[in-house]
Amino acid sequence: MPILRRVRAAATALVLGALLADGSQGASNAELAPSTPHQDFVAPAPGSYRLPPIQHAPNGRVVDIDGRTYALARYTRDRVTLLSFMYTYCVDPVGCPLAYATLTQLRERLLRRPDLARQVRLVSLSFDPSHDDAASMRMYAGALADPKSPVRWHFLTTRSVADLKPMLDDLGQDVSVELDARGRPTRVLNHMLKLFLIDRDGRVREIYTTAFLMPEVMFNDIETLLLETPRAP
Amino acid sequence: MKTMKAAVLALTLAAAFGGALPARADETCNSPYTTNLIKGQEDFVHVWTLGVKGMGDESDKLVTVDVNPKSKDYGKVVHSVTVGGRGEAHHTGFTDDRRFLWAGRLDDNRIFVFDIASDPAKPKLVHTITDFTQKTGYVGPHTFYALPGRMMVQALSNDKDHGGRTGLVIYNNKGEFVEKYDMPTGKHGDVMADGYGYDIGINPQKNALLTSSFTGWNNYMMDFGKMVKDADAMKHFGNTMVMWDLKSMKPQKVMNVPGAPLEIRWSLKNGDNWAYTATALTSKLVLIKQDAKGEWQAKEVGTVGDPSKVPLPVDISITADAKGLWVNTFLDGTARYFDISNPEAPKEVYQKVIGSQVNMVSQSWDGKRVYFTTSLLGNWDKKGGDDQQFLKLFHWDGKALSEKFSIDFYALKLGRAHHMKFSAKPANTAGLKERFAELASNR
Repeated sequence: MPILRRVRAAATALVLGALLADGSQGASNAELAPSTPHQDFVAPAPGSYRLPPIQHAPNGRVVDIDGRTYALARYTRDRVTLLSFMYTYCVDPVGCPLAYATLTQLRERLLRRPDLARQVRLVSLSFDPSHDDAASMRMYAGALADPKSPVRWHFLTTRSVADLKPMLDDLGQDVSVELDARGRPTRVLNHMLKLFLIDRDGRVREIYTTAFLMPEVMFNDIETLLLETPRAP
Repeated sequence: MKTMKAAVLALTLAAAFGGALPARADETCNSPYTTNLIKGQEDFVHVWTLGVKGMGDESDKLVTVDVNPKSKDYGKVVHSVTVGGRGEAHHTGFTDDRRFLWAGRLDDNRIFVFDIASDPAKPKLVHTITDFTQKTGYVGPHTFYALPGRMMVQALSNDKDHGGRTGLVIYNNKGEFVEKYDMPTGKHGDVMADGYGYDIGINPQKNALLTSSFTGWNNYMMDFGKMVKDADAMKHFGNTMVMWDLKSMKPQKVMNVPGAPLEIRWSLKNGDNWAYTATALTSKLVLIKQDAKGEWQAKEVGTVGDPSKVPLPVDISITADAKGLWVNTFLDGTARYFDISNPEAPKEVYQKVIGSQVNMVSQSWDGKRVYFTTSLLGNWDKKGGDDQQFLKLFHWDGKALSEKFSIDFYALKLGRAHHMKFSAKPANTAGLKERFAELASNR
């Protein structure tokens, strides 16, 4: 098993463990521990509500798993897009692995709805271009990046932090490098987990942080956007 | 009956002279579902402060106090940012990532955005929103509540009649207007919605947005002594709370909660489905909870002090384990602690006079440190010698409060101390640009 696959499997196991433990990891009081999201309501029906545009998706250049450079807009237009940031070696159970697990669930739901699936894409963009090059992202993605899949899942990186940073800043996606006691960078990137739902016109219509990562709600949000008529160019 | 109650209330308030209302804050109640709250020792308390004519630079300002006991500046004001003018500085709220603090003014409707994260010891004003009323028709940006990537603002009034009808506003984190939503009016079931607004509380796992109600510009900018003698003015206080469907931003249910229900505090325990509020004019503790059928209900579960004396409950603060509740009463300057192990039957177990007047209360996540400030509104604070303005820190051992420091805001010519928020020095981290090259070289 390639090492990155092992990391991913371990991360998924951690998420599942966290789900089973109801968020009790690492806290003295289980009731108050950082918890995975819990949905205790019936999600409003698709199309029964509006999602006002929050902001435009950023511009920038990204690199696909074949090492080709494209404008980010290629991945934020014409389909409804769920964009998130990650790094391949993240093991925080309520961080990237939770996003991965949520996206996997959404992908499976979409595969059961082929009428919707081809109108949606998932995008995972690395926080760490110094480590996550195109080859690393290809290995991490595995079969999920299959271009023939009805649900396209793009695993992207950037050429440099200089290319990445403006996109993060524009979206308000924070990230910092944790240092050790001697002030040296560790392999932990502190970041707030955010997933950005982007419409076919490239506008951010919803943002999900940890407490809001509810696949049923997210699926209905996607369908709500697909029920809209795209704007004329 | 209602007229008589209002008259008694007005007389009592007039006799007390100079008192007043609202508040909101604290670490355990700070949009807890977004980024992590400070669960260790906070380093700084930022106090949004009203300017006073003839005092210092006379302007509203953000005052930063060092509160880390290991610091050489412990208990001292280490910085202040003057924003210019006096516009009734009131409440503040962090963005979801806690990088920016939004602070509003109820009179001139300006919203100031401070960068707190770059150097929490020295916040910087980075943006001012000046077209709040032009964009929305609302007046009095009051509560600032973080949503993912955006800020929800509850306004108190409107620019047509300066009364209590108002609405909710969404901005993105860049400060750009996104959408607005009128508070409901008209008949909702058996309840007449008044369209008033005050505080915001969200429970994501229930898709629940709860709002409370207060009064409009005509009242909150009026001299308090004059207002309480004005029978017509006293009729214009909120008597409802609204449960909204957060996702669709549609009102689900309007609940009768007479007497100006103010601060909203949800239990932070996973799986809990209840929140508290306190009513300013009727001195009640109200529990908002789902019944066996899943329907939201508001019911009185206790009183705060002696309601006949109208002690005027203002800010409240729920402990992280949702077993305790601090309630300040402004007119007698008292902090009261309730055991809410059974939220249906809160029991007052402790009280202490903090000063001649007290408004805001903010407690640390562990509940061991409790901060108090004093100002309500420029025209509502007490007069003369009773107009004390301070930030005080007490330690709470579960049985009694013991004072650790007190900062006299008037002696320092800072003004009236109002809303508080905590911040902490950054964890041991570095930015991407600065450190990725080194990170790569270490691999």
